[in-house]
This record gives sequence, C-alpha cells and structure tokens, in this order.
Amino acid sequence: MRIGVCIKQVPDTDSQLRIADSGRGIDDSDLNWVISSCDLCALEEALLLAEAELARGEERPELVVFSLGPARVEEALRKALALGADRAVHLADEALQGGDALADGRALAAAVAKEHCDLVLTGAQSDDIGQAATPAVIAEILGFPYAWLVMAVELDSGKRSLRVVRELEAGMNEVLRLDLPALLAIQSGINKPRFASLRGTLQARKKPLRHEDRRGLEVDAARVGAAGAGFETESVTLPPAGAGGVMIEGVSAETAAEELIAHLEREAVL
Amino acid sequence: MEGAGGGPGTQEVRACGRALGGNCRVALLDEEHLGPYAPGLYAEALRALITDGDGEDPAAPLVVLLPHTYQSAEYAPRLAVRLDAAYIASVSAATIDDAGRVRFRRSILQARLRAEVRPRKRTVVATVQIGAFGGTDPAASPDAVVKVGRPADIEEHEEREVLGREAAGGGGVDLAGAERIVTAGRGVGGSDEVSVAAELAVALDAELGASRPVVDNGWLPREHQVGSSGHIVAPNLYLALGVSGSIQHLMGMSGSRIIVAINKDPEAPIFSVAHYGIVADLHEVAPVLTRLLEARRSS
Ligand SMILES: Cc1cc2nc3c(=O)[nH]c(=O)nc-3n(C[C@H](O)[C@H](O)[C@H](O)COP(=O)(O)OP(=O)(O)OC[C@H]3O[C@@H](n4cnc5c(N)ncnc54)[C@H](O)[C@@H]3O)c2cc1C
Repeated sequence: MRIGVCIKQVPDTDSQLRIADSGRGIDDSDLNWVISSCDLCALEEALLLAEAELARGEERPELVVFSLGPARVEEALRKALALGADRAVHLADEALQGGDALADGRALAAAVAKEHCDLVLTGAQSDDIGQAATPAVIAEILGFPYAWLVMAVELDSGKRSLRVVRELEAGMNEVLRLDLPALLAIQSGINKPRFASLRGTLQARKKPLRHEDRRGLEVDAARVGAAGAGFETESVTLPPAGAGGVMIEGVSAETAAEELIAHLEREAVL
Repeated sequence: MEGAGGGPGTQEVRACGRALGGNCRVALLDEEHLGPYAPGLYAEALRALITDGDGEDPAAPLVVLLPHTYQSAEYAPRLAVRLDAAYIASVSAATIDDAGRVRFRRSILQARLRAEVRPRKRTVVATVQIGAFGGTDPAASPDAVVKVGRPADIEEHEEREVLGREAAGGGGVDLAGAERIVTAGRGVGGSDEVSVAAELAVALDAELGASRPVVDNGWLPREHQVGSSGHIVAPNLYLALGVSGSIQHLMGMSGSRIIVAINKDPEAPIFSVAHYGIVADLHEVAPVLTRLLEARRSS
C-alpha cells in the first residue's frame, strides 16, 4: 500500500507581513516558511496509519510526500522526510509555479497518479490563500471518493475501505465509509504532530527526493502554473483596523485596564 | 448568472447575486429531490442544471454562487472543474464594472489581509462567506427558483456512504446561554498560561471560551470552542485575549453586544469587529484587569 501526502509551504502566520510594492501580494523577501498547519496533521495521520498497520502485523505502507513550489520547498520536503516519510516528490518546474488551486490541483493529481497512491491525504485548508480547494480538485481529476474536514481515519483490515469522521458545523460530526483509492482533506485537531528527532533529520538527508516537471507529468502548459490559474489578484490590503471601535494604545497596563473598566461600566455590561 | 442552496447562507447568496445585478436564477438543492448528500452527486446535479440552462449571451459572465458552508465548500471546487470555471472561495464582497468585469473580495493569510480578485474565465464558481452581505431584505425581489433534480447516471456518483452522525465533544459548558464570555486565543501561549484567561473569567463572572488552536493543542477541552465549528455565541460582553480574528472565529461571536479585544498586534483583524480594543501584551493587561475587577466587586 502506498500513501501520498501533499504538503504546502506557507509563510509562518506569526511572521510580520508586509505588502509588496506591487500591491498584489506580500513581500516574500524576509519571511519564515513553514509547512501549513493542517498539512502537518495530514502527514502525522499518514505516519499513524502506517504505524497502526505495522502494529497489526501488516506490511508498513510506503509514505510519499508531494509539494509544489520553488526551490525553498525542498526544506519542507526534507522536514517531512525527517518526520518519517519515505520518499519525496518536488514539483519544482518553473512552468508549474504561480498557479491557483485549480492549476496546482491538476499538477498534483498527475504526480499522485504517476506514483499510484492508494490513499492521498492533504490538509483541509492552507494557512495562506485558504481556498480549501486543492484537495477537492485532485480528487475530482482522479475520480477518487473525497471527504473534507476529516477528524478521524480508520483503515479496514482488508485495506479496501476507510471509516472516516468528518466535521460539520456547530460541534457535530458525520461518520462516512469511503472505498479506496480515496482522498481525505485533514482538519487541524485530528492529532498532535510530532517533532523531528535528530536521528530522523540525519536520515532524511539520505532519503530519495526527486524532481518532477511539466513534461514528465504530461499536463497541458495552458492548464497549470500561472497560465492555468482561474483568477488573478488585483490588490492586497490590510483590513480596516478599529472600524468605529475605541482603541486603547500606548498607555500602561494599569491605565488601559482602568479605561476599559470605565467604558464597560458605561455600557452596563459589568 | 448564479445558483444557490436552500439552507444556511441562502440570504447571503441572494444578496451577493443582487450586488452583481443581472439575471438571477436560484437553484434549490434538497435531499428530498436529490437523495442523501455526496460531493460528486451534488456537483454533477448542478453541472447538468447550469450547462443545460446556459442559453444566454456567451460573452456575458456566468457566476455560480454557493454559501460557504461545510457542505457546499466541499463540492464547489469539483463543480468548478466540471464547468471549466474559475473558483473563488469565501467571498465577502462582489462588484461588477461597466465593462461587465466581476471582482470579488476575500480574506487571505488567516484574515490578516484581504485581496481583490478577478476571474480570468467567463464562468466563475464562488462561495459566499456566511455573515457577509448582512442586512438584506428577505422579502426583496423574488428570484426565479428551480429545484435541482437527480442526474440520470446516479450510481456513478454515490462515492461514499453515510454511517451516522454524532456530537463532536462533551457538553457541560453553557456558552450559548452565557451573559459574558472571556476567550483564550493561541496568543495566551500555552496550557499553563490559560489560567490568565480563566482568572479573568472568574473575576467577570463569565464563561471561558477558546479559539480552535487552543482546543486543538489540548489547552482546553473542545466544549469551550467558539466559532463556525464550535459554539455560536452572542453574549452581552465578549472579551477575546490573544485571538487574531479569523473568519471562522468571527462567525461564532460577531453577534455579541460588546466585543473587547486584547492583542499585541495593532493590525490583528479582531480589532475590525471590536468595540473596545487594547493593543498590548495580554500577560501584562489581563492580570491587572482581573485585580481591578476583583477589587471593584469587593468594594
Ligand atoms: C473549516 C475550519 C473551521 C474552523 N473553525 C474554527 C472555530 O470554530 N473557531 C476558531 O476559533 N477557529 C476555527 N478555525 C481556525 C481559524 O481559521 C484560525 O486558525 C483560528 O481561529 C486562529 O485562532 P487564534 O486567533 O487563537 O490564533 P492565531 O490566529 O494564531 O492568533 C493569535 C493572536 O494572538 C496574538 N498574541 C500573541 N501573543 C500575544 C500576547 N502576549 N499578548 C497579546 N496578544 C498576543 C497575536 O498577535 C495573534 O493575533 C477553523 C478553520 C477551518 C479551516
């Protein structure tokens, strides 16, 4: 059995964000890049599934990680290998960059198909663009059964189907059965991602990481990368701060607390 | 242009459609006509309806709007693939210019920035953020409503089976009925630091809420979670400590009467809904607030 995990490298949400001079994106010259949080949960879930198979005396499934992005993405893939993935595929070709979820989904679907994965896991939504669409696009193109916002996964003993818990609104869950091959978009909170060990980090350097390009994937140049994106971003702005609200800033903690209490007394909410 | 579901978000979808003008057709999807929900089935039913009904001017934009619920946001990207359309998720504003070019606004980077985006294709599938486009008149302009029928080749689309439904977490916390709520966000910093929120909650006689990462990290149990996947609350006073103000969190609390936010980042999106904002380290301000409130009570 082979499990594929698609991960995206995103700016650390705790880093300071500056709007680029073009006004169409963020300035990426001085950012800290990390694996998007749900994608780390997807990788952890794949590791847990592999360990569970091993524990019940089965052969350990092979874990292949995929990521689309420029050269810096290799760092994210090495981290995934350090955490326990077996192999990595980097969709690094210039012709594949600059796309949206539709373009990226097409390229990733081709890469996943080429590796014949029985199960594909991704995060539910990226921490940067957050369209929550790439996994659905991959599933659609491959014709795989699909579930978004997955909070629990169990593989049946015959490895033919999955029992999956999917999150609904307002604290409810839905329990589903999907036949393999399938694609699951994993929601945060399903598990607590592990940290890489020193040994894992050392081993990761020797694990296979291969590059994949547009020709090798046999995808149409007009449907991937910037050319294949369905929309363009015209401008990026900060949301209006303190829209109508009273801001208390640049005073001591004591003064801030006193001022707030005075306001809340006037509002009769204390 | 357009299309929509029946349940939550119907108002938003209609309001967004109206913001774009043009001819609106409203499509109702219900289990009675379509059978139990499955992503492929609903995507296919809408694809058939939209391709068949699209006899209009091929130059005019075709905009398909769905509510950004956990159901339609699951299959909307698949519909976009089937229609060879652009896909734009969770839009909070929509405009159309004289040349007929459609533009949408959506949040990116966990609501820290917002982007104006323009589809590069004639057909665009967009999901509409719940709670955006507020204050519309439900009685305004009755749009033509079509019920979406079951596609003929149905077996192909039943790609998953529903085994049941269950509650995600235990009860025991009365957030929905609370008069006052103090919420701990990821900014509190760790499970040991949640006490700074808990102590303030006691001093205010408030219930304790949590943002999703606080729950995901195990700092507080799931029943404390406020937001689209937790409790929807509307207390008299909502005090958020170290909460950035993501769309999913705001969906759970933006109806509160008085919202107070304490955050060290002056650009945190929570400040755009806060009635009172303190830009400061919560670990400096919250303990002082607790002490002053306790003193006020005992005097
Ligand atoms: C389908 C889906 C459903 C979701 N449902 C929910 C939901 O129900 N509820 C929910 O909350 N989220 C939900 N989320 C997650 C949501 O997108 C955000 O990730 C989450 O709300 C962020 O939580 P936060 O504000 O606590 O953390 P962050 O976004 O990390 O913000 C932390 C904030 O703390 C501030 N801070 C840090 N240190 C300090 C300090 N010392 N003093 C003051 N301020 C400080 C920072 O400036 C920052 O603004 C959902 C996501 C998805 C995809």
